[in-house]
Amino acid sequence: MKLNELYRQGKFVITGEVGPVKGAISRDRSVEPNCAREAIFLQRYVHAVNITDNQSAVMRLGSLAASVYLKSLGIEPVYQLTCRDRNRIALQSDLLTAYSLGIDNVLLLTGDHIQLGDHKGAKPVFDLDSVQLIHMAAGLREGYDISGHPIENPPDMALGAVVNPNFEPMELQLLQMKKKIDAGAEFFQTQAVYDIELLERFMRQAEKLNRPVQAGVVVLKSPQMAQYMNEHVSGIQVPEAWIDEIGRTEKADRREKAAEMTGRFLRRVKSMVQGVHIMPMGWADLIPAILREAELSI
Amino acid sequence: MHATIQKPIEEIVQNIRSDERVFIVGCDNCAMKCCTGGWPETRAMAERLQKRGIQVAGYTVPGPAGVSLCKLSNTRKVLMEDCAEAVAGADSFLVLACGQGVHTVIDATGGAMVHPGCDTVFGGETVSDTEVKEYCSLCGECVIEYTGGLCPLTLCAKGLLNGPCGGAKKGMCEVNPDQPCGWIAIYERLKQLGRLDLIESYQKPKDYSKWGRPRSLVVSEHEATFRFYADSKTVRNDD
Repeated sequence: MKLNELYRQGKFVITGEVGPVKGAISRDRSVEPNCAREAIFLQRYVHAVNITDNQSAVMRLGSLAASVYLKSLGIEPVYQLTCRDRNRIALQSDLLTAYSLGIDNVLLLTGDHIQLGDHKGAKPVFDLDSVQLIHMAAGLREGYDISGHPIENPPDMALGAVVNPNFEPMELQLLQMKKKIDAGAEFFQTQAVYDIELLERFMRQAEKLNRPVQAGVVVLKSPQMAQYMNEHVSGIQVPEAWIDEIGRTEKADRREKAAEMTGRFLRRVKSMVQGVHIMPMGWADLIPAILREAELSI
Repeated sequence: MHATIQKPIEEIVQNIRSDERVFIVGCDNCAMKCCTGGWPETRAMAERLQKRGIQVAGYTVPGPAGVSLCKLSNTRKVLMEDCAEAVAGADSFLVLACGQGVHTVIDATGGAMVHPGCDTVFGGETVSDTEVKEYCSLCGECVIEYTGGLCPLTLCAKGLLNGPCGGAKKGMCEVNPDQPCGWIAIYERLKQLGRLDLIESYQKPKDYSKWGRPRSLVVSEHEATFRFYADSKTVRNDD
């Protein structure tokens, strides 16, 4: 089901996220890839599951293949598509393919730069930017390709986009968000945020743009992970208070603590947003505890 | 200007055969400014090659002072007339200039064997005697009217036309933490100019056919024709 249909019904939308495996899906169907195992578990707790597109520019199984695989298992995928590796022909073709294979939700992003990943010598494509990608996807839905040629059976998918409340200056990010909406974005997921006051400041402006926003959060597992994200993951800033709280906790108790911290954060921010997007980074089994703490359910 | 950096001497030597007599050609414009192919570097290259057992037939930096090697008529005259004797004894040319200069030597000599002595790195602004910076990607379709003259294709690592990617941290690019985010620079400049309205409108995808190589330009007093791929664009300059 399309996420914008859920929004129309007034639902508070909860999504999770999994990353495709570094490798192929086994021909032996009794061997589930990790991403599928996680998604199967998540399915009971979330409306849909994002499938990342070679995230951090690390080469993996394609997000479309993984999305279709999960769809075949009855899980609602949010197919992520980035501008990094495909020109406008490939992007359009992949959007048509996605719709043809049953995908209802697509999240359209710029993509992390190749220098962040494991194929640093590859040619960065970025033929389009994310605003142009959204504009093009909206055009396909209207029945035209980017060159203006009519297409058969226009793909009707919900068009999601991302926004980063951590970005300074915030005004520039809001300008960008407005352009994405004008281009056709129907819902937004934010980059991981940890600062309630910052999110509040962001949402005070963003809500004027009148599109549903899901607050994104990456489950923080350890102070080392926070340090790594602060240094290496683009657009994320974990505040000291989070690092201290998880750092003070005994290693054996950190899973429980991570669930408590994430849930507490979501409980405090849920009234500001129309949904949440939880990125469990392999700790998908914490999602029930997080949602319990956040007093959220589908 | 075309920014160049010399190839490591080992790489240059490796590509010259032991029985080959090489004539060295510099450039008195861009390569001179980059300290890759002015008179001092060209003279020094002759000594560096001879020290490594390479036979040097001669060397020159086509003058008059300040003239670019890529001005074919001048380079042809200097190599084929002024330096005719030394050039006649050369099997090949080592060019201490950009890739355009290398091709100019091919044209000037009627197709001689050439060795590039430099890597051509970008087209840039000479911001001081010791630094060249890139502000233009030579894309063939200038978009900087709406960005206050700062090129997003060049200053943004992803070449995004409609705003930043969201990956910047503390104002710095996700690709290189020492490089300011190009879009923040554009935003700050337009804000200062009171023209933030310029980046509010949708910028359509670029026409990359204009970046389709090889390109050429035919000019006259009245008009210029830019040729790219199978298409061309002619603009009058006197109406």
